[in-house]
Amino acid sequence: MVQETKPEADAAEEPPPDLSWMEKTLGWGTRARPEPNGGGLTVDALNIGVYSDIPDHIPYRNRMPRGAYPAPEAGNIGGYYLQDKYEQWADSAGLLYEEGISRRWSTATEIPWDTAGNVPDDVELAVAQVATELCQQASVETEVISAWLQNLSPGYHEVKLFLSTVVYDAARMFDGYRKRAMLNGGGMLMESPGKMNRQILETYAGWSETVLTQYVMRGTLQKTILRYLSVYGPTEADRALAWRLLPDRARSAAYAMDHIRFAISQRPTLRKTFNDWMIRVEMVQAGENRDPVLWEALAVIFGGGVKGMDEGMARVRELQADWVRTYLSYTKVAGIDRSKKLSPAFQMMLNPDAAGG
Amino acid sequence: MATEVRTDTGGATATEAATIGAEYQALLDYGRERGYKLDWLQASETLGTSPNFDPAAGGLLLQNADAGRYAEVPEYSDNMTGRPRGAIERPNAPRVGNYPVRTKADVWLRNGSQLYEEAVQRQWSSSVDVPWHTLEELPDDIERAECMLATFLTEVEFVAGDVPGKWIAYTTPDYYEPRMFLISQIMDEARHLDVFRKRALANGGGLMGQLNNSALAGGTIDSARDFTEMSARLHISGEGLVLSIFRMGELMSYNEAEKAMYRLAASDESRHVAFGVMHLQYLSQTDPERKAEIHAYLDEIEIGLAQGFGGQNPAARGTPSSAALSILLGGGSDTASLREGEQIALAVRQRQIKEYIQRVRVAGFGDRFDDGRANPALQAYIAA
Repeated sequence: MVQETKPEADAAEEPPPDLSWMEKTLGWGTRARPEPNGGGLTVDALNIGVYSDIPDHIPYRNRMPRGAYPAPEAGNIGGYYLQDKYEQWADSAGLLYEEGISRRWSTATEIPWDTAGNVPDDVELAVAQVATELCQQASVETEVISAWLQNLSPGYHEVKLFLSTVVYDAARMFDGYRKRAMLNGGGMLMESPGKMNRQILETYAGWSETVLTQYVMRGTLQKTILRYLSVYGPTEADRALAWRLLPDRARSAAYAMDHIRFAISQRPTLRKTFNDWMIRVEMVQAGENRDPVLWEALAVIFGGGVKGMDEGMARVRELQADWVRTYLSYTKVAGIDRSKKLSPAFQMMLNPDAAGG
Repeated sequence: MATEVRTDTGGATATEAATIGAEYQALLDYGRERGYKLDWLQASETLGTSPNFDPAAGGLLLQNADAGRYAEVPEYSDNMTGRPRGAIERPNAPRVGNYPVRTKADVWLRNGSQLYEEAVQRQWSSSVDVPWHTLEELPDDIERAECMLATFLTEVEFVAGDVPGKWIAYTTPDYYEPRMFLISQIMDEARHLDVFRKRALANGGGLMGQLNNSALAGGTIDSARDFTEMSARLHISGEGLVLSIFRMGELMSYNEAEKAMYRLAASDESRHVAFGVMHLQYLSQTDPERKAEIHAYLDEIEIGLAQGFGGQNPAARGTPSSAALSILLGGGSDTASLREGEQIALAVRQRQIKEYIQRVRVAGFGDRFDDGRANPALQAYIAA
């Protein structure tokens, strides 16, 4: 289709521009300052004067920057249905965003990949198996969070900014562990059991439930695995990769706890809602825990090979107990203490001796 | 589940392969005697191979990592469980993926990994990499124009982050390379909306008016029902138009902070535009049956270009952001300055159109400019 339009031949023929927009501002005279002790001009430093008002509800579903002069005729664009602060907010989001930006790093150049040679084949394959699981977890995380972005109101831009770093961090975890799996040719091995992936992907009914599932349940598992790999990884490259990823995971956990706590502070009935949700999540995770693939691969790594698996599995039990303790501490900090209601399968993990080997 | 022990290790002789196989079987037997399942312990054909990388020259890059079956990108993906490309399937895994984009030509480009790695290397911080201390008080009309442009850019950068996000979740992980690039774009766009908000609020000004029209705010990009349509609207048209503006940042900057802001954002934006061009080029070369459909999308895009209507163009005629550009380019809001600014803005629009035409030609759709299909107003723009 060809559209006939008047070419712009000469700007001098154009009518003078309408400059009435120059008066449309709510907070003229704003002068945000860089941090006095370094750190530059942060996103939180912009919240001054009229721009410090972060409302409990955003009444529009379009992309108006918070504090801009509104144009009611703009209408809705679609998406952005999470319009209430309690549904997404965390006071730490702006700070965590800046922290994420300031800690930028690259798996290509900042991991000593050349130290990862001479690994026995069975250990190499075990590393590849753990890498496959972590890659798939990261891949699911990128799908889940990036899909939510279009539903989170631009009025709470600090949260959206932070979640952009979270998606990027998850991509880096995928990138790092795919490279590790390929480094000595082990490759991608067995895919994830998928039960928790499905649970995380099925939490679209509520962002807070997504946060709990992804960052309080799965996030604590990831963080514990990375912590152990940062100590017991078979090569310097393995230890360095896990070590570098840990702060990324810690930021998302910090947002999660801060957000859940905030949500409950605004809507106290959510404490029960979230507790009930975690019963379901614990059940699904417990079901996935019965799959031996991840635990066996970790046992081979920790034991130095298939022949050391019994010793390695003892360390896996320690890891599982550490994970549950971390999970309990996170839920307590978030305001949904699970210590009295923990599912039996998780209670078993707290006592490795009782769980057997 | 039966355990498959592959003996076809890359480059091994038959005897070596048999030895490797025997060693594995011994390990498996040892482990199973102790109650372990070990069905995941499968040596792939790539075991023992390594990607080429130089720690001193770029390191281990994503584009060099995959080998063997892991590097084979299927023309059509039946991966519904979200497994990483090349991973061993579990027959009992649930189908968790909602992946309407499962045909390679619909999303692929030849250099997705390279663009991702480039993005990783070029991350920057709006807090510390922009010399905010160089901001100084500007004449009121100039400051208002800066703030208007910054408000506009803050608003439209939400489009460029949120819309690709949706498509990441729609795309099978077998095509992880374009997904990785789109994730880097989400990160870039977050930084852009952040840096322009900072500019609006850092120099005695404030945020100005929101866009009063959803199409101008990128609504047509949201409504694209096909990835390539979205990419053409977002990457080739919308971001291309913004890139032309950013590249002229030196002309409309009044201090080093603004120059740095536009320069850094332009470097990100050029990757986003490159993604769109390279994807469209791949599609035109591998799926020519879709060319007519793509031409139809370009028809719609060009209506927006010709009329100054359509997402993300700060230079779109008759808009506050366009007037702000004229004030910044002309040096003031008095009649003479505005007229001078308008003339420069005209040159900006001409450049936008020329660059659009060049991108479409590189993408393999240049025939529209030779056979009369392209919107005639584009040629008029350039000739004016």
